[in-house]
Order: sequence, then structure tokens, then C-alpha cells
Amino acid sequence: MDTVIVTGATSGIGLAVARVLLKRGYRVLGVGRCEKNCKTAESELEKEYPGANVRYYYGDLMQQREVKRLSEALRRDINEHCEGKLYALINNAGCARSWYATTEEGYEQQFALNHLAGFLLAHYMLPCLKKGRGLIAMTGSGSHRHMKVRWDDIMFEKRYHPLLAYKQSKLCNLLFAVALNKRFSNDGIRAYVVDPGLVKTDIGFKDTGRLVRFVWSMRRRRGAMPQVPAKTYAFLLDAEPPEGGLYYRQCRRAGYSSRVTEKDADRLFELSEHLTGVVFGKET
Amino acid sequence: MNVFITGAAGGLGRAFAVECAKRGHDLFLTDIDNKRLDSIKNGLLRRCDIKAVVYPCDITQDCAVKEMMAFTEKLDMRFDMLLNVAGVDFEGGFAARESKQIIDIVKLNVEATLRMTHNVLAHRRRNLPFYIVFVSSLASMYPVPLKATYAASKRFLLDFSIALGQEMKAQNVSVLSLCPGGLPTTEQALNGIAAQGFWGRATTNRLETVARRTIARVLKGKRIYIPGVLNRTFSIAGRLVPPCVLARMLHGRWKKAQAKWLSV
Repeated sequence: MDTVIVTGATSGIGLAVARVLLKRGYRVLGVGRCEKNCKTAESELEKEYPGANVRYYYGDLMQQREVKRLSEALRRDINEHCEGKLYALINNAGCARSWYATTEEGYEQQFALNHLAGFLLAHYMLPCLKKGRGLIAMTGSGSHRHMKVRWDDIMFEKRYHPLLAYKQSKLCNLLFAVALNKRFSNDGIRAYVVDPGLVKTDIGFKDTGRLVRFVWSMRRRRGAMPQVPAKTYAFLLDAEPPEGGLYYRQCRRAGYSSRVTEKDADRLFELSEHLTGVVFGKET
Repeated sequence: MNVFITGAAGGLGRAFAVECAKRGHDLFLTDIDNKRLDSIKNGLLRRCDIKAVVYPCDITQDCAVKEMMAFTEKLDMRFDMLLNVAGVDFEGGFAARESKQIIDIVKLNVEATLRMTHNVLAHRRRNLPFYIVFVSSLASMYPVPLKATYAASKRFLLDFSIALGQEMKAQNVSVLSLCPGGLPTTEQALNGIAAQGFWGRATTNRLETVARRTIARVLKGKRIYIPGVLNRTFSIAGRLVPPCVLARMLHGRWKKAQAKWLSV
């Protein structure tokens, strides 16, 4: 049974993806922040799909030591149950913020969770991915457009604008995917970014202020249910998408910002290695 | 400059650590939580060209502090600034809390702060200015029912810092008392701010701004810093309105807020 890790899997897009994959016979390892929500999601999915193979792990992916701890638990699980082979890693966990907030490392939280957490998790899971199908998918956003990386202030410490920080983090998802494909495609690794479109999730309600909650409550009314973008992840996992595809929406290749360049991808990759203290792909 | 920070792994301590690191100061960081101390150390060293030493320590224990100071002597470290950030509060009424919790507030906020100040002063760099910041609170300005012990402990720090600053002026020591309103440091703090509704949000200060302005002010020799115009206005009420009237007003406000938030 092919095993897939899905982060942010206790609600919204992550939970919908877990459902779709279980229905298709994948084994799902869900990751969530809160133990209670993880237990609820796990038992709901076991009830909906009797006999399905699903297991949840909880931890705060915003904190790098938690990413390491979770990775060790996930690798033990994969080594024990599927011969060390990971079919796919879906970096879906993400957040939005109304005010500047930092992680234990002092990093801006949207950058830390929406990009660095996925980067670090992919690093730790790389050996298992190389043995398996090697797919890495990230939940991106159309809001990555009309944005460039603030190289001189990537944490937005000067003149913090939460929406711009979010848009930058989504641009980083694409740059990371480009860098992964450049460096590891010969090892069988393929990275994609999924644009879910406007979706009815709770991202704008978690640890945000009144204005963001109000705006999100209005915007999400026109959003699709999470089951809609979940189909794109299943499409990427089931089929072999044509070479050269990077950004997908509604099971089709989609255009993306011209600022997604190899030069910026390399620059972000090196910076991310520095900020996480790892040499990507090298086990310590 | 070598800066010593207590409570360095928490929200405000971390903000101070980042601000000092951005200014190029080397750091000695202590907190009771060694895992989070390692995290902030890694984050700082990856972004700033400074030296950062971490030492997990329970500063309420005299022998633990003595060991920590012996460790700084082994490193031959002398200090230029002390940021007394470590502190604690347990929400709710006096009689409803365990007596250990009440005593722990005083042990950390008052006793441990005095212990650290005395010890680090003895390890200051000779013949150069020395700066001390005490993290007090806007709550130090009034008697606050349902936060009585916490507010009184912060009142102690406010009065003590003003007196110490005058006493040590001739020895080139500058002392500042930081008196912020709400700070979005922990989940409990965020819930408390939300439970107070508009006034909670209006009196809350951004951590990084507070850290930056506090360091700037202590270097200029300021004695008290109350972030936020609204908070400064409220602090005046603390001097003009009779304490019993203030206590009655604040009791009503905190009773409503804590009923909403502690019942969640």
C-alpha cells in the first residue's frame, strides 16, 4: 500500500486530500498541530472508511525542533510499515496572520510555516521519498502573483504587511519546487505546486485579528469546498503528469508568475538551508 | 556590548534577543526552557553575526544562579546590559489559586529578579556604563483585583527600579522600568487580550516595537517607558483617581474578561 504524508490534515484542504487518498486506497499519515484535532480526524476517517490505513501525528510545524521530532516519528512508521518507501509528501500546512508574530527561532510565522516547514520536512523525508515514488506537492496560491521576494528583509521585519508576507510565502512554494526539480529529478523526485483556488477553509480564522476574520468570512463565501482542489492532488499522485509541469489547478497545468526563476529558486534554496541549519538531502 | 537576558525563550525575551542581535550585541540568554533556548540561539546565529551563549537555569534557585554566574566567569564574560524579562502570572482570584502559585509569582517576579540584578551587577564590565531594564507592567500603576499579586509584584519592580536608578546614577548605571499593557506573548496572553474586547486590543503593544524602543530609551538614560498613547493616558489615571475607586472599576472589568476567557 502506497504511503502519503499530508500536513495540515485535520481540516480544510488537508483533511479533504486525506479523504480522497484513503478512498483511492493509499495509506495516509496525517500531520496536525493539535492532538485533540488529530484524534478527531483520525477517528472520523476510520469511521468513514472502515479498514482504511490512516494514522495521525501531532506537532507544531512552525517550530523546527518539532519538524525534526515529527520527521523521526514518521520515518520510524514508514520504515516499519512500508519498507522505508514514501510515495508522496503533501506540504499543505499553512497559516495567515494579522500581526507580526515569531516562532521559537525568532522567524516570522507565515514564512516559517508556509515555506521553511515544508522545506525542512522534505529534507528529512528525502531518503524515504527517493526509495518511493518521490512526489512532493505543495499547496500554493494564486496570490503568489505580482509579488517578489524581499531578499533584504525576508521576514518583513520593517513595515510588516501580513498579506504581502503571505503572498511571498506562496511564491516561495513555487521557487522551492523549481529548486527541488533542478537538484533531485535524477533521483526520481518530482515537485509540484497546487493552486487550490478560493476555498472555504478556516485559514483566515486561526490566530488572526477581527479585520482579517471579517474579510475572510466575506471572501470564502464564493470559495469552493475543499473536496474540489483535493482532486488535483489525487490526479498528481495517480497519473504521471507530463514533464515540465510545475503548477496545477483543477487537474490541469496552469500559468504562474514570471518571477519564478531558476536564479531566485537557487537563492531561496541556499537561504533556506542556512535558516534551517541543514544541507538539503545530506543526513546528519 | 554583552547583554544578559532572563526569560529569553519567551515572546518578549525573544523579541529583545532579536533586537539586541540586530544591533550587533553579543548575548547571554537564560530561561527555564532549554529546548526553546536552543531554538532562539540557532535562529539568532543563522541571521546575525554575533556570539550567543545559552544557559538553562531556574533563577528562583540561588544555587542554580550561582552555578550560572560561575559559568560566565569561566567564559570570562563581563556584561554591559541586563534585561530582566522572566516573569509569571496565574490568572484568577487570590483565594481561587493554590498558595504555591501565589508564592511563585513573588518568587520569580520579585525575588529572582533581585537575585539576578545583584549577581549580574557584580559581573558588569568595569568603567563602562551599565544598563538595566526591569519588565514591570501597566498593572503596576493601580491595584488590580483578580491580578492582585501580579500587579503588586510589578509595582515592586517599578518602585525598586526608580530607586535603584537614582542610587546607582553616580556609578554610571542607567535603570529603566518597562510598563507595557497587554503583550501577545503566549496563547494565554492572546486569549486574555481577546477576552477584554476593544480595550484589550487597544492597550496591546507589538513585541518587536516595544523591544526596539525600550533598548533605545534605556541607552538614552530614560527611567520609565509606557508604550502606547492610550496606556500613557491610563497611567495618569493611576495617579489622579483614588486607589479604592480604581480597584472597584478594574474589578468590574477583569471580572467580565476572566469570566469570558477562563470559562472557554
